[in-house]
Amino acid sequence: MAWNKPVIREIECMEINMYGP
Amino acid sequence: MEAEEIPVLPRGVRLHYDHIREIWVLLAPERAVTLDAVGHAILSEVDGERSFGEITQKLAEKFNAPVDLIMQDSAGFLGALRARRFLDVSS
Repeated sequence: MAWNKPVIREIECMEINMYGP
Repeated sequence: MEAEEIPVLPRGVRLHYDHIREIWVLLAPERAVTLDAVGHAILSEVDGERSFGEITQKLAEKFNAPVDLIMQDSAGFLGALRARRFLDVSS
């Protein structure tokens, strides 16, 4: 439950990094 | 995102657990993003009723972390989702 900057990866067709460290 | 603003998932956008990949994803019509544990924790608090300030206060207690850090990271996270129309905000 440690806090870390959240990461979002958008799935297109493959995961593409969208936001995060 | 301001503390008094209320984040809400738009119609057709929902959290879903992908049992194949064993990850949480945020589904929208014909689009999806994967979430890590913190991202899922943030969105789990989004109910369309509580303000961003209330949500981040709850997360600060849950994670035992400084509320300023939680607000900064959550604002960036939710702002990124909002920019891609995975999230709406009312005030």
